[in-house]
Amino acid sequence: MKPAKRAAINSSAVHVFDVLRTVSNDAKPAGVSDISRRLSLTGSSVFRALTTLEATGYVSRYRNLPQFELGTMPYLLNRALLNRFELNAASRPYLGDMAQETGETVSLNARLGWYSVRICGIYGSRDIYHRDRLGELAPLHESLAGLAILAFLPEADHLKMLEFLDETGVKKPSPAAWTQSKDKIAEARKTSILTEELPMSPGFSAVAMPVRDHTGTAIASITINGPVFPSDKIPKLLSIRDQLEALIAKSPKRFVSPFAHIPANKIRLQNNKTKLAL
Amino acid sequence: MEKTVTSIENREQNKATARILTVLSSFASNIGEFGISELSQHLGMTKNMVFRAIKTLVEQDYVVRDPSGQRYQLGFRVLELQNTFSPEPTFRTLCAPYIQQIHELTGETVSLNIRALDYMVFIDGIETRKPGVWRLQIGALRALHANASGHLLLAFLEDEAIEGYIARQAALAAVNPRSSEIPLDRDALWEDIRLIRTRKYATALRQSSLPMLSAAFPIWDAENNLHGVMSVGGPNERFGPQFPALLDKLLAIMDSLCHRTRLYAANAGSEITL
Repeated sequence: MKPAKRAAINSSAVHVFDVLRTVSNDAKPAGVSDISRRLSLTGSSVFRALTTLEATGYVSRYRNLPQFELGTMPYLLNRALLNRFELNAASRPYLGDMAQETGETVSLNARLGWYSVRICGIYGSRDIYHRDRLGELAPLHESLAGLAILAFLPEADHLKMLEFLDETGVKKPSPAAWTQSKDKIAEARKTSILTEELPMSPGFSAVAMPVRDHTGTAIASITINGPVFPSDKIPKLLSIRDQLEALIAKSPKRFVSPFAHIPANKIRLQNNKTKLAL
Repeated sequence: MEKTVTSIENREQNKATARILTVLSSFASNIGEFGISELSQHLGMTKNMVFRAIKTLVEQDYVVRDPSGQRYQLGFRVLELQNTFSPEPTFRTLCAPYIQQIHELTGETVSLNIRALDYMVFIDGIETRKPGVWRLQIGALRALHANASGHLLLAFLEDEAIEGYIARQAALAAVNPRSSEIPLDRDALWEDIRLIRTRKYATALRQSSLPMLSAAFPIWDAENNLHGVMSVGGPNERFGPQFPALLDKLLAIMDSLCHRTRLYAANAGSEITL
């Protein structure tokens, strides 16, 4: 499945990671025959893979049944990865202030290649709230968080991103959708704010704002999702965001992404949401 | 014959795969980067084994080279390994295998305890099958000054907070002298707290008809606060002689657990989870 570019150093390990990703993406605990059918691997290969994964804490047996779900280790690795972004710990007090100010869910989304990934978030005080998850990924052009980042990247990067989408076979935005995105980007450049109505929740609104380094380039974005977003709060939220940007400007090296040394085109990710054909 | 060779190869392949997964697991801590030699020493594998495992992990983007190109860090592709349909492991889930390990090592009762205001609460554990045991009552409360776990939970609070606790206990005792099974001795408590702060674990010998020895170890969070405490204990006659010999192994098990618990903040009630 991962292919030509990623030659199999150890073919057994490649199968094991394929099995692990299948378990990761399943809504329900998965059994040997189901995984075997989906990956076109023999039942014994899948069984051996699951046995190895179980022994190392990557999957665990579901209620003593011959079905498996994700174990503790992948969650620990994800936590460790997100903790590597210095912005994660540094932004918490600011996100907390925004959550207190609005009562809504506030998240920080870091740029990772041509994706945005949620690395930190704080829930507000409201009973009805927007539930988010850490580690959520989306190509930059597909989410409000990503568009807030794109708005403060050079135009040349927009073209590079479209080339990346071509190269990886990801569904590119239609010309109409891209024009709409560009309009949003242009608006964000003027106001520093993007807004949208969330699907399935009429009247719910989401707001995103870029978080920039000392050069004015976006390294992350903040999103606020909630049932009722009071527009009179925006100036206060921008001022809190400005404080975070001031902190970043003081020591820009500290806040460089742990993956900044890897060319954006080499960062290719796939999950239920991104659905990249690699 | 061919089948035998194939099955041996498969077993070997899985051993190699298990090594790859074990090497990847080393990155599940706040230690950002590793060199081959460090991993080899840490995991007790040859440098060649570690190098081969790292090569596969780099090829798959689960591990990447750091900017210097000499060391290795966790790779971005780990982000694919999460399930949005199931919850992140709880504190009890993280500690469960370590409770088991300590029980297997000592053969004694092990408990996982957290602080709730002025009390320590048992939230998990394993009770030994041997005669003469600590009673493990999940959900039971003990005053913080009453045992080794409580002393440890107190020791890493601010001095002012400890004095506040002592004052509250004195007020309670004035109203009801039987408010705590074990009376609070302020000087002895402070002496023990100073010792705990130095050596980073607590021991207590309870003199009763069957003298009991317990040891408690801290479980640290991302910000050097305590998530809770792991405690192990049994009759002094049985556990006392073996404790000094087991101490290094107990500390190593706790160190391994804390590598995991340090990934989380203890007071993260309103934070979004994976």
